[in-house]
Amino acid sequence: MIKITNLEKFYRTEEVETIALNKLSMHVDTGEFVAIMGPSGCGKSTLLNILGMLDDPDEGSYVFNSIEVAHFNERKRADLRKHNIGFVFQSFNLIDELTVFENVELPLIYTGVTTAERVKRVEEVLDKMQIMHRRNHYPQQLSGGQQQRVAIARAVVNKPKLILADEPTGNLDSSNGNDVMELLTDLNEQGTTIIMVTHSEHDARYSHRIIRLLDGQTVMENIMV
Amino acid sequence: MFKNYIKTAFRSLYKNKGFTAINILGLALGLTTCLLIVLYVVDELSYDHYNVNHERIYRVNEDLKLGDNKVDYAVCMPPLAKTLKAEYPYVIEAARIKAAGTTHVKKGDLSIVENHIAFTDASIFSVFTLPMINGNPKTALSEPNTVVITETTAKKYFNTTDAIGKIIVFNDKENYKVTGVIKDVPKQSHFNFDFFVSLESFPDSRSNEWLRSDYNTYVLLKDKSYANQLNAAFPAFLQKFSGSQMQSELNMSYDQFEKNGSYFRLNLIALDDIHLKSNRSGELGPNGTTQYVYIFSAIALFILLIACVNFMNLSTARSANRAREVGVRKVLGSSRQHLIFQFLAESVMVTLFATIIAVLAAAVLLPVFNQIAGKDIVLTVQSFKWLAPSVFAIVIIVGTLAGSYPAFFLSGFQPIAVLKGKLSAGFKGSFLRSFLVVFQFSISILLIVGTLVIYNQLNFIQTKNLGYNRNQVLIVQNLGELGNQAGVFKQELSHLPGVSNSTMTGFLPTSNWKNTRIFFKDATLNQKQSLFPQTWEVDADWIPTLDMKMVQGRNFSKNISTDSSAIVINEAAAKFLGYKNAINQQLYQSLGGKTEISNTVIYHVIGVVKDFHFNSLREKIEPVILKMGQNNGALSIRLNASNLPALMAQIKAKWAGLSPNVQINYSFMDQDFDAAYRSEQRIGKIFVIFTTLAIVIACLGLFGLAAYAAEQRTKEIGIRKVLGADVSAIVAMLSKDFVKLVLLSIIIASPLAWYLMNKWLQDFAYRINIHWWVIAIAGAGALAIAIITISFQSFKAALANPVNSLKDQ
Ligand SMILES: Nc1ncnc2c1ncn2[C@@H]1O[C@H](COP(=O)(O)OP(=O)(O)OP(=O)(O)O)[C@@H](O)[C@H]1O
Ligand SMILES: [Mg+2]
Repeated sequence: MIKITNLEKFYRTEEVETIALNKLSMHVDTGEFVAIMGPSGCGKSTLLNILGMLDDPDEGSYVFNSIEVAHFNERKRADLRKHNIGFVFQSFNLIDELTVFENVELPLIYTGVTTAERVKRVEEVLDKMQIMHRRNHYPQQLSGGQQQRVAIARAVVNKPKLILADEPTGNLDSSNGNDVMELLTDLNEQGTTIIMVTHSEHDARYSHRIIRLLDGQTVMENIMV
Repeated sequence: MFKNYIKTAFRSLYKNKGFTAINILGLALGLTTCLLIVLYVVDELSYDHYNVNHERIYRVNEDLKLGDNKVDYAVCMPPLAKTLKAEYPYVIEAARIKAAGTTHVKKGDLSIVENHIAFTDASIFSVFTLPMINGNPKTALSEPNTVVITETTAKKYFNTTDAIGKIIVFNDKENYKVTGVIKDVPKQSHFNFDFFVSLESFPDSRSNEWLRSDYNTYVLLKDKSYANQLNAAFPAFLQKFSGSQMQSELNMSYDQFEKNGSYFRLNLIALDDIHLKSNRSGELGPNGTTQYVYIFSAIALFILLIACVNFMNLSTARSANRAREVGVRKVLGSSRQHLIFQFLAESVMVTLFATIIAVLAAAVLLPVFNQIAGKDIVLTVQSFKWLAPSVFAIVIIVGTLAGSYPAFFLSGFQPIAVLKGKLSAGFKGSFLRSFLVVFQFSISILLIVGTLVIYNQLNFIQTKNLGYNRNQVLIVQNLGELGNQAGVFKQELSHLPGVSNSTMTGFLPTSNWKNTRIFFKDATLNQKQSLFPQTWEVDADWIPTLDMKMVQGRNFSKNISTDSSAIVINEAAAKFLGYKNAINQQLYQSLGGKTEISNTVIYHVIGVVKDFHFNSLREKIEPVILKMGQNNGALSIRLNASNLPALMAQIKAKWAGLSPNVQINYSFMDQDFDAAYRSEQRIGKIFVIFTTLAIVIACLGLFGLAAYAAEQRTKEIGIRKVLGADVSAIVAMLSKDFVKLVLLSIIIASPLAWYLMNKWLQDFAYRINIHWWVIAIAGAGALAIAIITISFQSFKAALANPVNSLKDQ
């Protein structure tokens, strides 16, 4: 599903040039659950953002579903993104002005799903995440665990083929964290490809494969058994 | 402490360079425009104020009604001035002016055409403040054949202002001795003459006729409080002095005359009011109108308001961003007062910068503006005396006003609420800001509609069928130079190929030759059945040369001898007289003296010419009577030439053959026509410029607000994009709120614009209708401009990599 070759990303500030990704190559097959690990600042988030087409690489190739997307502009990327990828962030990134229901509904609006169908699908997914009773609350009125469940609901409501999660349990206690990992595992078992950045060896164990990064390069891959 | 405010303000402004630039630029633009308009308005309002006694000087107007004819004159009877002075002790001085038409003045071998010549009483210099450089103002014009000239004229003819005793030759034969040189008449004067010829030279000036009006008459009163007294005295005064002449000439007493519904009335108009409020028959020059003074003042105010609104809008919008700063400062112990001063200092500083730029820009642009507006405004020490305080007031008022919202509002917050970021959430929430945007756009739409209507109306005037064809008509203006050779000239030209026709007369639709005479419908000369038409002497070629159409009867013919007593009338005259069929109707004209049939001339109507416009299109077409006559005021030549320069050369050669010393002076009829509407075109142009500016300023504000809105919602935009929002969805989301406001403005402004512009159009007797699409175009235009402005910002936000916006937390 994903194949990147010699991917590079630099950040230039006035004084220094940071190489966030250094000729990184890897691939992820459809249906895999991959964890990305590594010390802080090694480029995990940068990689995930590029994989999610939220950012563009400076050099190298990125083939997504057999399409070379490295040089796509924002317009084309947005189109690919909305039909294929769901995101889960460490800081949830819910829109404060919208209710739980409205937040989850948003991706469906953008892909042009009809109102009736939207209601059905949002309720379905809220049910599954067990936050149906909170549907009319605003994000600030929820706990961190609940917020992350809303974020996951939002990420999966469109039935994306790929879910990218950047430290999804980073702001949660271990019990809430485990719930989230169970949810992701369920989704993976139903066929969704998942790439997850994490600092926790515990969480990483839910995955099939761990990719370890150091200074923007792959240092090791472990296949989980 | 004060220094600290300034320093902090400076840094804060510098940190937000883009925002500060928009703010200063918008305000400066508004203030510049405003300043220029203020200069224009002050200039218009200060006409004739150069006269030391301007508050005590009045002109006597005359309103005349005879039967159904009504005329408002700016001129009065020849003996009025001296009689008023003799009768009323509080009339300290009285002076008359009679404008002379185009005159030729000799300079060496050259004959120069002069248009600014007046016959005046010697007392003119006692009434008006026209300082004399050389000569004695008391006696300068008391002798016949004397003339006082302006400085510029003296230099033009004699290369010196020391011209006393020199001789000026008018029209090749009349010699006048220069007895005084005055400073040039100020531009802000309702009359503008270069030559003041003594009225003593003109026998008519001693006429004792009370039944005609042709002298502009001015009185200097002891005090302006006497004006009412004099106005009240006029009816009895008129009866006393004109009664006997009325008896002998009209064969009726003054009372009878009034009982018939006719009247003569005199009234005073203050000198200061003449330029803006008087538009009578016999004015000494074109006057302005208060209407434009009002309109421009309103525009100036609007533009200033728009600019201030921008300023406030941007400041308050940004203030939400600064809520955190306020919170931190408060936590650190800043008092509320301190914060208020801090914000005010910032806003006053921006205003100050903007004002400095505006004053400089206005000074630099003044010459350009003068050219567009047809003005001659100069900045003098005098103008700075009122400008400086007003500009200072603007800085303080605008600065404080714009800064007051953030200053008082933000400084009043609880620090903890501010720090938790509860305030920055609601950009949409500000009712004040929405209101201000609606206000701005309503005004912009109003101005767009105004401009469109004015332009359409001017275009209508320019393309309206005037009843004659003004294209390809050459007018030889100084035909009089040829004396009785004029006919020969006309004859010779008629043989030139390319000349299809020509007519000899000074009376033309585009000239300002006017001649009003009284005609009566029946032989008893009953004034109830009288007509007060323009009576023009023309020749048989007049109607064909000007390409006019006959609606009844026929044109004059050279070959029908009875045509010497024939007249052709226009449709307006036929309608006024109530003729269904005008042909062979008779009209009577008194020869003066007793009202008896033997004392009248009888004219018979041979044709009715289709109405043609000869006054401004503001006015209805008046009745016109054309009669055959020898008038060598001008020669109008209808050209039909493919090679105009060659034809012109031939015409000039023919002229030179007859008048080797005097240059031919000519113009083209279409240009003369355009000249008559130049002031209106100017107004149109100024309007367009101001409207554009107003819109630019409003958009500048919108641009800033849109940028701000996008900035406020960066994170939200990022999240939405991650969730699949495409560029158009983001642009729509950001534009929606503004577009709603602009739509609301359209709803508010449209009826208002329609109403106001219809009011303006009422001034034109011939006018356009305001079509719905004019309003639609204005609305759509404003909307389009707004959307483009906003999109610029929205696209920028929408096209950014979402990761950038998400990072920004
Ligand atoms: N916008 C930016 N400008 C400059 N440098 C950046 C920018 N974003 C990231 N970097 C640098 O790129 C490198 C990789 O950053 P990245 O956010 O991918 O790290 P990470 O592996 O996700 O770290 P963490 O585990 O702490 O989240 C870091 O050294 C970081 O400082
Ligand atoms: Mg990271």
